[in-house]
Amino acid sequence: MKHLLARAALALTLGLGASAPALAQVNPTEKSVSEDALFQALGSGDYVVGRITIPDANAGYLIKPDNKIWAALQGDTLHMVSIVAIVGMIVLLAAFYMIRGKIRVDAGLSGRKILRFNVIERFAHWTLASTFIILALSGLNIIIGKTVLLPVLGEAAFGTISAWGKIAHNFLAWSFMVALVMVLVLWIVHNIPNSVDLQWIQQGGGLLRKGVHPPANKFNAGQKVIFWAVILGGAALSFTGFLLLFPAEAGTPADWQFFQTIHAVTAAVLSAIIIAHIYIGSVGMEGAFDAMGSGEVDENWAREHHSLWVEEVKGSSGSARAHPAE
Amino acid sequence: MARMKFLCDADRCIECNACVTACKNEHEVPWGINRRRVVTLNDGLPGERSVSMACMHCTDAPCASVCPVNCFYTTADGVVLHNKDTCIGCGYCSYACPFGAPQYPQTANFGTRGKMDKCTYCAGGPEADHSQAEYVKYGRNRLAEGKLPLCAEMCSTKSLLAGDGDIIAEIYRERVVTRGYGSGAWGWRTAYGETVTV
Amino acid sequence: MLVKRRTREAASAGRLSQMAASVAAKPLDRRSFLRASGLAVGGLAALGTLGAGMTRRAEASSGYTDLTQPVEIRTNMCTHCSVGCTVKAEVQNGVWVGQEPAYASPINRGSHCAKGASVRELVHGDRRIKYPMKKVGGRWERITWTQALDEITAKMTEIRGRSGADSVYFLGSAKFSNEGAYLFRKFAAFWGTNNVDHQARICHSTTVAGVANTWGYGAQTNSYNDIRNAKTMIFMGSNAAEAHPVSLQHILEGKETQRANVIVLDPRFTRTAAHATEYVRFRPGTDIAVIHGMLWHIFENGWEDKDYIAKRVWGMDQVREAVKAYTPDVVERITGIDGETLKRVAEKFAKERPSTFIWCMGGTQHTVGTANVRAYNILLLATGNVGGEGTGANIFRGHCNVQGATDFGLDVGNLPLYYGLAPGAWKHWARVWDVPYEYFVSRFDAVPAKGGRDARTAEKNMQVPGITSTRWFDAVTMDAEEVDQQDNIKAMIVFGHGGNTVPRMQDAQRGMDALDLLVVADPHPTTFAALHSRTDNTYLLPVCTQLETSGSRTASNRSVQWGEKIVEPIFESDNDYAVMYAMAQRLGFADEMCKNFDLVQGKFGLEPTPESILREINRGGWSTGYTGQSPERLKAHMKYQEHFDLITLRAGPDAPEEVRGDYYGLPWPCWGTPELRHPGTHILYNTNLHPMDGGGAFRPRFGLERDGQTLLAEGSWPKGSEIEDGYPEFTYALLKQLGWDADLTPEELAVIQRIGGNDPEAMGKVSWSIDLSGGIQRVALKHGCVPFGNGKARAVAWNLPDPIPVHREPLYSPRPDLVAEYPTRDNGRQQRMPNIGKTLQDANVANKLHEAFPIILTSGRLVEYEGGGEETRSNPWLAELQQDMFVEINPADAQARGIVDGGWVWVTGAEGGSKARVKALVTERVGQGVAFMPFHFAGWFQGVDQRGKYPEGTDPIVLGESANVITTYGYDPVTGMHEGKVTLCQIAAA
Repeated sequence: MKHLLARAALALTLGLGASAPALAQVNPTEKSVSEDALFQALGSGDYVVGRITIPDANAGYLIKPDNKIWAALQGDTLHMVSIVAIVGMIVLLAAFYMIRGKIRVDAGLSGRKILRFNVIERFAHWTLASTFIILALSGLNIIIGKTVLLPVLGEAAFGTISAWGKIAHNFLAWSFMVALVMVLVLWIVHNIPNSVDLQWIQQGGGLLRKGVHPPANKFNAGQKVIFWAVILGGAALSFTGFLLLFPAEAGTPADWQFFQTIHAVTAAVLSAIIIAHIYIGSVGMEGAFDAMGSGEVDENWAREHHSLWVEEVKGSSGSARAHPAE
Repeated sequence: MARMKFLCDADRCIECNACVTACKNEHEVPWGINRRRVVTLNDGLPGERSVSMACMHCTDAPCASVCPVNCFYTTADGVVLHNKDTCIGCGYCSYACPFGAPQYPQTANFGTRGKMDKCTYCAGGPEADHSQAEYVKYGRNRLAEGKLPLCAEMCSTKSLLAGDGDIIAEIYRERVVTRGYGSGAWGWRTAYGETVTV
Repeated sequence: MLVKRRTREAASAGRLSQMAASVAAKPLDRRSFLRASGLAVGGLAALGTLGAGMTRRAEASSGYTDLTQPVEIRTNMCTHCSVGCTVKAEVQNGVWVGQEPAYASPINRGSHCAKGASVRELVHGDRRIKYPMKKVGGRWERITWTQALDEITAKMTEIRGRSGADSVYFLGSAKFSNEGAYLFRKFAAFWGTNNVDHQARICHSTTVAGVANTWGYGAQTNSYNDIRNAKTMIFMGSNAAEAHPVSLQHILEGKETQRANVIVLDPRFTRTAAHATEYVRFRPGTDIAVIHGMLWHIFENGWEDKDYIAKRVWGMDQVREAVKAYTPDVVERITGIDGETLKRVAEKFAKERPSTFIWCMGGTQHTVGTANVRAYNILLLATGNVGGEGTGANIFRGHCNVQGATDFGLDVGNLPLYYGLAPGAWKHWARVWDVPYEYFVSRFDAVPAKGGRDARTAEKNMQVPGITSTRWFDAVTMDAEEVDQQDNIKAMIVFGHGGNTVPRMQDAQRGMDALDLLVVADPHPTTFAALHSRTDNTYLLPVCTQLETSGSRTASNRSVQWGEKIVEPIFESDNDYAVMYAMAQRLGFADEMCKNFDLVQGKFGLEPTPESILREINRGGWSTGYTGQSPERLKAHMKYQEHFDLITLRAGPDAPEEVRGDYYGLPWPCWGTPELRHPGTHILYNTNLHPMDGGGAFRPRFGLERDGQTLLAEGSWPKGSEIEDGYPEFTYALLKQLGWDADLTPEELAVIQRIGGNDPEAMGKVSWSIDLSGGIQRVALKHGCVPFGNGKARAVAWNLPDPIPVHREPLYSPRPDLVAEYPTRDNGRQQRMPNIGKTLQDANVANKLHEAFPIILTSGRLVEYEGGGEETRSNPWLAELQQDMFVEINPADAQARGIVDGGWVWVTGAEGGSKARVKALVTERVGQGVAFMPFHFAGWFQGVDQRGKYPEGTDPIVLGESANVITTYGYDPVTGMHEGKVTLCQIAAA
C-alpha cells in the first residue's frame, strides 16, 4: 500500500517541472528539478523516483529517506524488543519458579496411565517444536546475535554459524509449516474457547495456589492461548517468511520492510510464549512432560488439570458438562 | 584523513552511463549487479535531471546498523565496506539503504539472495590489498593505488565527483556560483545529514 | 555500531564457512556467472575448438592486474563516436587488464561515455567472430583464412568476367583507420570501380555536399573544445548528449563559464534539450522553414552582419529576397513554432555572439538533407559566425573515423581527399601511386547503351560516381536497364558496415538473398550476416577492431590521432591491412597497389605497415592538407598530449620541441611537408591568424566571378597576408605572376616541371593541390597566403538542385495540404539510379496515407549503442542497460490506443506492410503525433526472432526489431542520403 502512495506523490512532484504543451518553447535549465524542492514536496513514506533503463523496477528509486526510519526500527527498536521479550520472559519464569516452585500433583501419582496424545499428535508437536526452536534461535541470531554471540565467538565462527543458520532457517521453515498445519487439523476442535475457560481463567488456572484445580477439557484455557498463539503467530511467520524468501514476487522494498517487521515482532512475542510453554511442560509442572514424552499421563495429574477430559475418556456420566461441540 | 564522498552534479549529468560501465569494466561486475546506476527524474519534461547513484558511503550507515552479522566496516577514509565472507545475504541492508545500493546475485535456493555486492568506492575489501582474492570478491582496489573511483574519473562531463567531501563540495559550490544555478547535492542530506549550500 | 578501522582482516574462512558460502551464494566470479546464466555458452563452447595458441584469450577476460608484475600502458582511441577520446590501456602479459582515465588528452580529459568506458570488452570478445566461416547449405561452417580468401577472390573474378567490375560493390567502414580507409579506396580503384562507399553516406554526406559547396571543405569548421568560447549555440537535429557525450563536457562547461545560450531546436525533447536554456519543438522535416523564419527576423530587424557579408559572402541579397516568403505566419503553419519564439532565438543567435550552429542526423537524413545543411550555413554566414573562435558549423560526425574515411574517399564520387573523379584527379593519384593512368582505364568497365542512355567508355565510366550505399539493394534487384552500369550488383564485399542503418530493410533482405556473393568482414556478424536466408556463397571474415592494430584516425574536429595496437588480434581475427593485402594478392594487383608500402610479416602473412601507408598519404594529400601529419609527428602528439591547451588545442612554448606550437592532432589542413612544421588548422577559414598559425579564408573553388560579381574576398584576408585582398588558388602560373616563383627550390621546381610534362602551359596549371613537392604551398604560406586562395562563401550555390533552399514536404508528409505548396523535387536519376520520390509523394497524398498512418516516425541514437549495434549489443556491460527495442510515444497517443508504458506494441509502416514488435516507452520526450525509435537494433524481423541465423556463439546478447524496417523511401538528390527522420506509421498495442 505504501508504495502506491509513493507513486501518487511522484505524480505530485512531477508537477513541479511544468507540463510540456505540444509545441511550446521552454527554458529547461531554469525549470530543472532540485533536491530541495523535491524534499519539501516529499511526504512521509514518499520516495524520489525516476526512470531507468535497466529492467529492475526498484532501481528507479533514487532516494528513499524513510528507509532510515526502518533501519532505526530494525537496528535499535526491534533489537531491544527481542531482548526484552526473551530475557523478560526468562526472568519472569525464574521468579515464578522461585516463588511457586515446581507444581506438584497434589494427590500424588496414581501409577495409572491415560493416553493423552497419540503418536501422530506427538510427531506433529515435536516436529513443530524442534523446527521452531531452530528457527527461533537462527532468527534471534539475526536480531541479537551480533550483540550476544559475536563478542563471544569472534567474526569467523559467528559468520559461519549465521550462514548455516540462515540456510537452516530457509529450509526448516517448510517443515515448520507442514507441522503447523498438522497441529491445526489435529487439535482445532479441542481449542475452541468455551465457558469452562472463563472459570479456569478466574481461578488463575490453579497455578498460583496449591490445591486449586479448575475444571478443563483436553486443553485448558492456558493451553488454548498457546495453541492460538502458535497457530496465528506461526501463520503470520509463515506468510511473511514465505514472502521474504521470494522477494522478487513479494512486492517492493517497502513491502519487504513491512513483512520483515511483522516477522520479527511476531517471532519475538511467540518465542517468549514458547519459552513459558517449555517451562510449564518441563521443569514447571510435575507430570506434564509425559503428555508429549510417552503420550501417557498419570490419571491423578489428568484429574487435577483436565478433569472434564478425564471424565470424557473414562466415559463417566459427567460428560453432560462437556463442550457442546463434542 | 580525508572523508571520501560522492557528489553528482545533476546539472552536468547527461545519463551517458559511463559511470555504470566504467564500474562494470573495472571490477568485472556480472550481469544483473548494478553497483552504480543513473536515474532520470522528470523524464521528458523540462525539469528533467539525471542523477548517478551508488553507495553513498553514509555517515552512520543504516546498512551497518541493521546488518545481523556486522559485516560492514568503515575505513579511516569514511568508505563503508563489507566482508563477503561474513555476509549471509539476508537482504536487510537493502531494506535499510536509502539509495538502493546493495545488490545480490540470484542463487539456487528459492531465488533468494546470495552474498551482497555493492560499490566499494574502488577500495576493495578486507582481503590483502591488490590480491586476486580481493579482486574476485570486490574488484580492484584503486584507493590503495592512490586513485579515485573510476566512475567519477571517467564521468563524461565531470558531473560525478569523488574525493574528500570538503573538496568536492567546494568544487560544486564554485560551479554553482559560476553558472548561477544548481539542483543540489543529491543524496547528501540523507547520507551525510548535511547538504552543500551556496 | 560502526567499526572504525583502516582495514579489517578477512574473517579466516574455514572449510565449514566455505561450504556454507557455496550453498548460499556463488562468489562473484564473472566467468562462472556467465556460464551459469548461459550467456556465454556459445562463446565459451567455441573456445574449445580453438588451437592452443588461441585459448589464452579465454583467460584474458579476467581483469585482475598483478601489481607486483610490470604493467604496460598503451594508448589508442575509442572506436565509437567521432569525439576521439583517448583510451589508456593497461596491458599485462599481452592481456588488456584495465582501462585508466586518459587525463592528458585535451579532447576527453580522462572522460568516457558508456561505450568508451566499456571498450575493453571488445577484446574480451565472447561474441566475436572467432574464425572464418562460410555458409554451406544454409549452415555456417568453419573454414581457414586461405580457403576463405581463395574462394572469395575466385568468385569475385568469375563475377567480374560475367557482369563487369562494377557488379562488385565495396562497402567500407567509418571504423577503418585512415590507412585502412585509404587502402580500401585504393583497392576499389585497382579493382576498377567507383562502387565504394561507407557510413558517411548515411550520416553526413549531405553535410559534406552542403558545406563544401558553401565555403570549400565539408568538415566541422571548429572543434568540440572551441565551443567553450561560444556565447550562443544552437543544436538542431543533434542530440549530442547521447550521440557525443564527451562533447558535452566542453559544451556544458562553456555554457557555465560563458553563461551561454544553449538553444535546442528538435522535434524530440532530448537529453541535450534537458540541459538547454531554450528548447523549441518543431515538426520533423521542416528545418528549412525554421531557419528561413529566423532569417526573416534577422533581415527584418537588420541583425545581419553587413560588413562580414560584404567582404566574405556572395549572393546574400538573393537569400534576403527569398526568405521574405517565410513570414512568421507561414513558418508557424509549416513548423509549429510561433513568431515570437523564433524571433527571440534569431536575435540571440545574431546578437549574442560568437554563435555556433551544431547539427547532426536530424538535419542531414532527409530528402532535403543538402538543402537543410545549406540553410544552416546561410544562417551562419548572415550572422558572421564562421571563421572565428566560438563560431562555426560544428558538425558532429558519427563514427570514430567517419571524418577520415570520408577524407580518404570511401565515397562513390571521390578519390582520396576530395580530388573528385575527373581525369586530373586520377592522374594525380596515378602519379602518387606510381602506376600508369592507363592501368586504371584498363581496369574499368565500358558501359553499353541501355535504358535510353548513351554508352560510355571505360575512361568515361571512371568519372561517373558509383551507386550509393543507400541503394545497393535496389541495384541488385532492379531491372538491369534501370541501373546505369554494365550489370546489376552481384557481389557485396562488406567491411565493418551494418545492414540495418538504411531504410527499407524488407528490400535490403531481398537484395541480400539475390546476391551471387556476400562477404562480411567484421569483428561481429552484422545484419549482412544474419538478415537474409542465403544458403551458400556467403562468407564471414573475422576482422579485428582498431584496438588490435595500429593506425591513425581523424576525429570530428579534423584532429588526427595515432592509435597504438593494444593487444594482438584476438582469436583468428586479423587486421584490415592484412586482409586487403591478401585479397589483392589473389586478385593480382597487390604488388602494384602496395609498391610504396613497407611490408612486414603479420599474423598470417605479409601486411603493409600503417606508417608507410600514411607516408604515401602525406605524399598525395595536398588538397586537404593531409601532408604534414607524418607518423612521427602524430605519435609525438599522443606522447605529449598534456602539453596541448584545453581551449585553443595548441601546444605552448614550454612544450617539447617535437610538438611546440602545434594544434593537437594537426587538424587538417596541415599544409606542406612535415618538415614545414605547419601546426594544423584548429579553426577553418579564420582570418584572425596567419596561415602558418592555422589561419585561413573561404576557398574559392567555384570560379572567379558570377553574374558579373567577384567570387573572391573583398577587403578581407588572413593576418599577415602579403596580398591584402581576395585571390584565387595558387598555381605555378600565379607564383610567376607574383614573382614568387623564385622562392621555389630547384628540387621543387623539378617536380612541378615533371608534373607539367615540361609543357609551360601545363606547368603553369600545376596547382597547390597536385604539386607533389609542396613547393607551391610552402611559398604561398611564406607570403602569408592560403594555398587554396581567398574567396567568398556562397549564400547561393547555383550548382545544387535548390541554389537557395526551399521548404519541401517529406515524401510521407502528415500535411497533404502543404504538399501542394511545397512539393518534393521532381523524379530524376542520381548516382546511376532512378529517384521516384515525386511519384511516391503524389501517390501518398492521393491515397490519404496520413489517415491510415497518422504518427510521424523519427529515429535516432541511444548512448549505449552505436550504428547497427552488433558490436555494442554484444558487450554485456552495455547490453544490460538497453535490453529491449522500444518506441517512444506521447502519453496522449498512448492513451488513445490503450498502450501502457513497457507494454508490447506493433509499429506498422507505410511501405510493404512492414511491421515491428517493440516495447512502448510512453514519454513526453516526443510530442503528440510523433514517435521515436532508436536504430541500433536488429535480430528480430517483423515479429520473428532471428537468433538462430547468427553463427553459434556470435549472436549479440540483445536483439530487437530494426527501426529501418519501418522507415521508407526517400533520397536526397545530391548525395543519395536516405530519409531516416520522417516517415509515417501507426502504432497499436500488441
